[in-house]
Amino acid sequence: MSGTTGSLAANYGVETDAVVSLNDIKVHYPVKEGVLQRVAGQVRAVDGVDLTIPKGKTLGLVGESGCGKTTLGRVIAGLVSPTSGDIWMDLTVEQQRDVQRLRNQNEKDFSEQDRQLWKQLTTGNRLGSMSREKQREYRRNCQVVFQDAFSSLNPRQLVRDIVGRPLRVHQEASGEDLNRKVIELLERVGLGAEHMLRYPHQFSGGQRQRISIARALALNPAFVILDEPTSALDVSVQAQILNLLVELQADMGLTYLFITHDLGVVQHMSDNIAVMYLGQIVEYGPTDQVFDNPLHPYSKILRDSNPSLEGKRSDRDWELSGTVPNPIEPPHGCRLHPRCPVAAAGCGWSVDDVLNSAEEKTPIIFETITTVERRDDFNAEVKFRDAEAAKSFATQVKSSVANLALDRPPELKGESVKLSFNEVPDASIQQIQDGRWTSCTRTQELGALPGFEKDKG
Amino acid sequence: MSSVSKQNKKSQQEKSRTTALSVKWARRREVALEVLRNPLTVIGLVIIFLFLMMAAFAPLLVEPNQPDPYQSPRDWSNIDAAPGVAGHILGTDSTGGDVLYGIIWGSRLSLQLSLTVVLFTLIFGTIVGSIAAMRGGKLDNLLMRIVDVFLSIPELIFALAIAAVLGPDFSNIILALAAVFWVKYARIIRGEIIRVKQADYVAAAKVVGDSQWNIYRKDVLPNAATPLIVQATLDMGNVVLIGATLSFIGLAQAGLTEWGALVSNGQSGLLAGEWWVSTFAGLAIVLWALAFNLVGDGLRDVLDPKTEGR
Amino acid sequence: MSENWLLKVQDLSVHFHSPRGVVHAVDNVSFEIKPGETLALVGETGCGKSVTARSILRLVPEPPGEYASGKILLSQDQDQSIEILSAPIKAVRAIRGERISMIFQDPGKALNPALTIGRQLAEVFGEHRMDMILENAGIEPDKASRADKMIAQQRASFLQIRLFSLLRSKKGKALQKSIDDAVARALADTGIPNPRKIMKSYPHELSGGMKQRVMIAQALACDPDLLIADEPTTALDVTIQARILELIQEMQKRRGMAVLYITHDLSLVREFADRVAVMYAGRIVETGPAVDVLASPQHPYTQGLLGAIPHRRTPRGQLAAIPGSVPQLVSPPAQCHFASRCKWAAEACKSVVPLLNSTETSRKVACLRFDTAEKLSVDIGDMPARAEMGEVAAE
Repeated sequence: MSGTTGSLAANYGVETDAVVSLNDIKVHYPVKEGVLQRVAGQVRAVDGVDLTIPKGKTLGLVGESGCGKTTLGRVIAGLVSPTSGDIWMDLTVEQQRDVQRLRNQNEKDFSEQDRQLWKQLTTGNRLGSMSREKQREYRRNCQVVFQDAFSSLNPRQLVRDIVGRPLRVHQEASGEDLNRKVIELLERVGLGAEHMLRYPHQFSGGQRQRISIARALALNPAFVILDEPTSALDVSVQAQILNLLVELQADMGLTYLFITHDLGVVQHMSDNIAVMYLGQIVEYGPTDQVFDNPLHPYSKILRDSNPSLEGKRSDRDWELSGTVPNPIEPPHGCRLHPRCPVAAAGCGWSVDDVLNSAEEKTPIIFETITTVERRDDFNAEVKFRDAEAAKSFATQVKSSVANLALDRPPELKGESVKLSFNEVPDASIQQIQDGRWTSCTRTQELGALPGFEKDKG
Repeated sequence: MSSVSKQNKKSQQEKSRTTALSVKWARRREVALEVLRNPLTVIGLVIIFLFLMMAAFAPLLVEPNQPDPYQSPRDWSNIDAAPGVAGHILGTDSTGGDVLYGIIWGSRLSLQLSLTVVLFTLIFGTIVGSIAAMRGGKLDNLLMRIVDVFLSIPELIFALAIAAVLGPDFSNIILALAAVFWVKYARIIRGEIIRVKQADYVAAAKVVGDSQWNIYRKDVLPNAATPLIVQATLDMGNVVLIGATLSFIGLAQAGLTEWGALVSNGQSGLLAGEWWVSTFAGLAIVLWALAFNLVGDGLRDVLDPKTEGR
Repeated sequence: MSENWLLKVQDLSVHFHSPRGVVHAVDNVSFEIKPGETLALVGETGCGKSVTARSILRLVPEPPGEYASGKILLSQDQDQSIEILSAPIKAVRAIRGERISMIFQDPGKALNPALTIGRQLAEVFGEHRMDMILENAGIEPDKASRADKMIAQQRASFLQIRLFSLLRSKKGKALQKSIDDAVARALADTGIPNPRKIMKSYPHELSGGMKQRVMIAQALACDPDLLIADEPTTALDVTIQARILELIQEMQKRRGMAVLYITHDLSLVREFADRVAVMYAGRIVETGPAVDVLASPQHPYTQGLLGAIPHRRTPRGQLAAIPGSVPQLVSPPAQCHFASRCKWAAEACKSVVPLLNSTETSRKVACLRFDTAEKLSVDIGDMPARAEMGEVAAE
C-alpha cells in the first residue's frame, strides 16, 4: 500500500478555502471502574478524523447512532475538547497545503523559513494556540443549531432574550437597538415581532427550531453546524425548515456542516458528504457520486437500506452481520470488517474477531473456552475444556473468511488451538478517484467497490 | 399579544421594555393562580397567614411581659389553671405561665427560628452545591464526601449533639439546626445542576461565548431552583418541629415561650389530667408544620419541570 | 361474517379533557382490517393515529381520555363479533395478547429493566400458552392436575416461588425445560442467533434492534390475529429498520395475521403495507391501496406530505412544504381541518366537514372538491384535476 498517511486526507477540499480543517482529531473518554475509579479503557468516540469543510458549501456528516458524528460536531463547536489533534480555522488553499506539508515533517527538521511559517499558522489559525481575540472571532463565526428544539431553548427566558443573547454577550447591541435586531432576525426566519415576548413553550416544534436558527444567525456567522436540525420534526415542517436553511445559505453565504442520520435529507441538502462509522470517516466525496457509486461497503449498505418511495430496496444481499462492535476495543484494520459482506483476508482480522464470532454464532463452543493466552492481538492460544470443542472451533475458523487472514492454518493441539494472524495496520482514508476518498482497503486496491461474489481468492 | 403586532414598530420598541416585564409578571401570576387552584394549598396559606398575623401583632393581642416579653408572665395564684379560669383562656402551666401568651409570643420565636435557619441553609447549601456541580472533579468529590458525612448522621441526633455542646440557649438551637440543614440543599442543588448542565440550552450559551457566571445565573440556576424552593417551604415546617424537639428536652432557656418548651412544661401535668398545656402548644406546632407541608406539596405539583408549561 | 373483516372501527371518537378544553384527538374515524391484511395508519405528530391504535386495545387512560362515540368490533368464531369498547374489562384483557398484540416505538421502555429477557418471555407463555407448555412437558393439558398447572405457572412467573416444585422436582424440571424451550424457540423465530444467551441477558445489554426482536417474539407468543406496530422502527438505525420490517412481514405471512402499522413514514408504507389510511387532525382524510395512494394522492394533504419528503431530484430549497402548522384540536370548528393550510381551500371548506367518500373502487377521500364541489359552489377552477394531481406527485 502507498505510504500516504491519514493526515494527508485533510486536503479533501483542497481546491477551495476551508472554514474549518480537522487534523487527526481524537476524542477518547476514559471508562472508570471500581471504587478507586481506575481507568479501565478508553471509549473511542472519535478516533482519528481528518476533515475539511469547504467554504460556502454544505458538508453532510452521516452515520448511525453512536458513530461519533455528534461528538465530532461538538468538537468543532468548541463544546468538547479533543483528546488530540488540531482544529484549524479559515485556511486558504495555500495554507492548507502548507499545513499538510509541515505536519508530515518533524518540527526539529524545519528550515528557518518553515519555522516562521508554522509559527504564523499556529498562532493565526490553530484553535488553542491562537490569540484570545481570534478565539473569540472563531466563536462568533461558528454557531450551532441543536437537534432538540425543546431542550435547546431555556424555558425561563423570553424569545427576545434567547435570540438577543449572542448580541448582548458580544456587546453588539442593547436596549432599543437589540429589540430592533431581534425583530429583524425573527422576520428573517419567518417569525414576527409579535413572537418576541413569548416563552419557548408557547411555540410548536417547527417554530422553536426557527427561534434556534435565529439565535445561531444573530452574530452573522460564516459557518453553522446543524446537528440533526429536523429529526425531531414532522415531514411537512421539516420541509419548511430545510427550505429556510437553503434560503439563508444563499442570502448570507453560509457554510453548513449538516449532521444527520437521514440519508434523504443529506442527499437533498449537501454538496459533499462524509460517512462515519465507529469514530472514523469511511468515505468522503461529492454527494451525488457517493450515492450513485459508493466506494465503501458501509456507504452502500446505508444507501440501500434507506427507505425510498420508488423502486425496491436494491441489492439487499448486502447486509451488515452482527452488531456494532465495542468502541473501547474497535476492530483492527478496517473497522467494518467483522460485519462486512465483502471482507477479505487483508481487512484486519485478529483473535478478538474470531472469538466474538464464535460467541455470537456458536455460544455452546464459546462457553467451553477455558483460557485465552494471547501474545498480542494477532497471536493467541485458545484453550478448551475438551478436544472435541477445540476441533469444532478450528473447523469453524477454517470455514470463515478469517481463515484467509491467518499466517498459518489454526494449529490444533489436543485441547488448544493456536491462532496466528497477519498483522494489518489500521485502515486509513485515501483518495482513489478525483475527490473521492474511501477507507476500504479492498476498494483502494481494486479501484472500485468489490463485487458481492464471495470469491475468497 | 396580537394587539402588539398591530401597533407600529416604533411605539412597540418604546413599549417593549415594560411589556417584557409585564409578560414575565403575567407568567408569574399564571403560576400563582395555578398554585391557588389546589384547595389544600390555600388552607395551608391561610394558616400560615394567621400565624404571621399572630406574630406581627403579638403586642396588641397580649400585653408584653416586662422586661423580657419572651418569658411568660407568672400568675402564681393560678398554677395549673384549667382553660377559662381566671381570665386564662387556654389555662396556665405548672409555673403559672399563661398558655395563650406562650403560644402567641412563641409564634414569633418559631418564625424567627425557621426564617433564619432556612434562609441561611438555603444560601449556604446552594453555594456549596453550586460550586461542587459547576467545578466538578476533585473539589466536587471533596465537598460531596463532607456532605455524605453530615448526611450519615440523623438530623435530630446531630442537632442535639451540637446544641448540647453549646449549652441551653435558643440561639444555640438556631445554630445547631443551621449546621445540620444545609447539607440537604447542597445535595439537591448539585444533582439538579448536573442535570440542567446536560441541556442543550447550556451548550447553546457556551457556543455563543457567554461567561460561566452568566450561564450559571441565567440558564442553570433558574432551571435548577424549583426543588430547592419546594424543599425550603417544607423545611419551614420541619425546622420548627425539630427545634421544638430540642427545646422539649430542655435545650432552650427555662421559661422561654417556645412551643416545644411549653409542651415539655405541660408534660408532667398530663397524667394528672392537666391536658391543656401540652395539647395547645402541640397543636400550634402541628398546625405550623402541616401548613408549610401543604404549601410545599402544592408548589411541587405546579412547579415540577415535567408538568410545567404543558 | 359476510364482509369478511377481522376488525372494524366505526365512527370512533376519542376526546381528552384538559384544563383548556376538550381535545378532539380522534374524530369519527372508521376503517376495517381484513384477516391477513396490512393496513398502515399514516400521519404526523398529534394526528390521532396512536390514540386510535391504543383505543383498539382500550389502552387510552380514562380520564383524561374518553371514548366519546363509536364502536370497535373484533370478529369471533361463527359470525360473532365482540365490541371492545363496551365489553367487560376481563374480556378485553383476554383479547390483549391473545388475539391482538402490540409492539411499541421504543423497545427499551417496553421491557422491564430488572428482569432477564428469558423471565419476561416466560411470563407471557405462562399466562397465555399453558397448554402448550404442559404438553411439551409430557402432561396432557386436559388431565393436568391443578398442582401441575401451579408449578408451571410458578416456573414461568418471575417471582419464582418454588413451593410446589419442591415436592415434585421431576415435573418441575420438565416444565421448566418446556418453558425455556418455548421461549428459545420464539426468540430463534425472530432471527436472534443465540437465543439461550439472550435469555440470560438484561434489556440494557442488548442493542435496539435486538430489543425490538424480543418485543416481536413476545407479541407473537400467542399467535395473535392482529399485530399493532406503533412506529416499530423509528427508534432504530436505518441499517436495522428494513430487517425488522421484513421480519414482521415474514412472520405475518407464516402465521396469516393482520398487521396495523402506525407510522409517519410514507416510504415504509409503500413497501410493507397493502392499504393505507392517511390521518390529519383526528380524521382519516384519504384511504386506499398503498401503491395507488402514493402514486396518485387525491387529498391535498397526502399530496403535500409526499412533496415534502426531501429528495435528490427536488431542487434544493424547493421542497413542497405545507405552510402553517397543525390546528389546535380543542373544540375544533366544523370544517375541513386542512383548509387553513390548503392551497385550494374554498369558502365551503371552512363551513362543512368533508366526508370520506369513494372516488374510485376501494379508494376514499375526504375532500369537498371530489364530490360536492358543484353543489357547494366550490370554485374548482384553479384546483388541479385528478389526473393532473397524479402527475404532480409522480414527478
